[in-house]
Amino acid sequence: MTTALALLGVVVGGVVGTTVALSANRRRLRGFARRIEELATRRGVSTEVDSGGSDELERSVQLVISALSLDERRADEASEIVGRLRGALDALNRGVLVTDTRSTVLFCNEAATEFQGARHGEALVEAAITEVLAAAVGGEVMQRTVDLFGPPRRVLVVTASPLVTGGELVGAVAQVEDLTDRRRLEDVRRDFVANISHELKTPVGALSLLAETIAAETDPELNRRLAERMVTEASRVANTIDDLLALSQIEGDESSEYGPVAVAAIVAEALDRVGPAAAQRKIHLEVVETTAEVAVLADRRQVVSALHNLLDNATKYSDEGSTVRVSAVRVNGSVELAVTDAGIGIPTKDMERVFERFYRVDQARSRQTGGTGLGLSIVRHVAANHRGEVRVESRLGEGSTFTLSLPAAMTSQPGGRD
Amino acid sequence: MNRAQQRSSRDNEPMPERHSPFHQELDQVQAEVVRLAAMVTETIPRATDVLLNGDMAAAQSVIEDDDYLDVLSLEIEERCYQLLALQQPMATDLRSIITALRLSSEIERSGDLMVNVAKAARRMYGADLAPRLRGLIEKMSEEAARLFKRCVDAYAERNAGLAAALDDMDDRLDDLHEDFIQAIFESYQGDTMDLQPAVQLALIGRYYERVGDHAVNIGDRVQYMVTGWLPEHAGAARLEARARRSEGGPMTGELRVNGVDPNGGPSPS
Repeated sequence: MTTALALLGVVVGGVVGTTVALSANRRRLRGFARRIEELATRRGVSTEVDSGGSDELERSVQLVISALSLDERRADEASEIVGRLRGALDALNRGVLVTDTRSTVLFCNEAATEFQGARHGEALVEAAITEVLAAAVGGEVMQRTVDLFGPPRRVLVVTASPLVTGGELVGAVAQVEDLTDRRRLEDVRRDFVANISHELKTPVGALSLLAETIAAETDPELNRRLAERMVTEASRVANTIDDLLALSQIEGDESSEYGPVAVAAIVAEALDRVGPAAAQRKIHLEVVETTAEVAVLADRRQVVSALHNLLDNATKYSDEGSTVRVSAVRVNGSVELAVTDAGIGIPTKDMERVFERFYRVDQARSRQTGGTGLGLSIVRHVAANHRGEVRVESRLGEGSTFTLSLPAAMTSQPGGRD
Repeated sequence: MNRAQQRSSRDNEPMPERHSPFHQELDQVQAEVVRLAAMVTETIPRATDVLLNGDMAAAQSVIEDDDYLDVLSLEIEERCYQLLALQQPMATDLRSIITALRLSSEIERSGDLMVNVAKAARRMYGADLAPRLRGLIEKMSEEAARLFKRCVDAYAERNAGLAAALDDMDDRLDDLHEDFIQAIFESYQGDTMDLQPAVQLALIGRYYERVGDHAVNIGDRVQYMVTGWLPEHAGAARLEARARRSEGGPMTGELRVNGVDPNGGPSPS
């Protein structure tokens, strides 16, 4: 652009010159024309211009015009490229910020805007960005991990490195990466391996200890008691393995038969199954509301086992003598089966994780209740197989409500289809 | 294409920021106060987690991280003094600086309260808390963090309405605090807790409740920054009216404007 302006300047000078003293300035004008031609060649402007006459002035003006339009085209192309690159950076789901050498932010992509002029937890991310950028401008690569407690919990990694073009430091570039999901997946995987070995090893260890004791023991009465303990421990391992098999079967979703199943029948069967356990703990089971004529499109076995698991948990984690409520309500196109207890409740931070295999809120307590730690993951898988969902609301010390939402079937209503 | 158009129109808008170096400094002070407050809003759930899970390493880091808070709050104070001395600001600018000064001390104090929670958690390590107590602690923590976020919002947005609403929002935390004290009594009388952790818990409840009070104070200060009027004037006016009614009695000698609770004391009528 500047070259084109220089060319223009030269020409204007030439024009003024010619009007004032035409013949005296002929030589100077010719000099200007030569310079224009030189500059134009250097800028890559084609010097073959279509000039009507051999007038040098006219030829020079045309050269300048084509130089200017070439500049404009180039500027357009450049801004298009810049626009495209901006769009590409905006499409990234990690934040990108570019600064000059005084760490003033020149560019910030869509994902990074939430850390500009931020408040609360994000303000701390902004502070980390400022810190790493300051280091990067000094030629250093720097990384900071910001672990936000939230809620929501977030883990962000902020990295900045110097920005060098043509061997010269022109600023810095910072990246903000959200590792929340990856961190959580890692936690799930690590805990799963630790928990499954724990769940299986503990009863097996107990079995081998009991067996050793029996081998060395001669008192028949003591031996009988030890053998009873062995039976308990063995059935614990058996339960865990049964649940694992049930889970993998539900996960595979094989041998399932989907069809309309009356909700009332599901509730009745699940209540029937949990009955003995509830009676033992003197827990009152109450059916609050069932829209009896409603049916769900489901595999009967799976849904009964899901509801049974919810009821079983509610019974286990409630105080003796309290009430567990079941309701089945139709909401738009689905049926919501809800189990509400007045039990110990779930801490907020564990709420998302209780559906993981073997996840325990409180290791010590769940050992007493004798669960396998798989119940809720079975429920979650059943919900997923039926394109439904399972939700939990809970308050420590007040109780929890688990809601299993399944698509409703229309058959039981007259005139309904499918 | 669409996005590019949007962007170019955004670029052409006049910059909303005030451009004088003094105002840039003021903006920076405000950003630092917001960051200081963000540190506290983060510390609240962190300290609660320490308390509920008995993670002693995390307790140590809550206690140590408070030093960053102290450093930043000192930095803000220093900056404010410099601005006051060198720029001699007036009106809104003056109120902004004074507010930043007051806020940084309120925020810093709130951070200390959360350190107290972490320390108390250390002292009652191993004590088994009833689920109801744990639930109430969680709720108080959430409520305190929520209040703190709202007062920062009011400050950053210069929103006097929101700032004034904080006092009412704090009622919920106060109610929770009362329930909590009641639950401690019940837990102690029901023989599920010893006296020592019971006393610690009562103190902890108080710490959360105080954080809410600091948030309300911040709201008052934000109102002052925006409108130039401090809610405490209402209390001061009441006191003056009472003093005038008793015809310059001994009351006038102990007229304390700042220490007066605007809602406390008998009503003037």
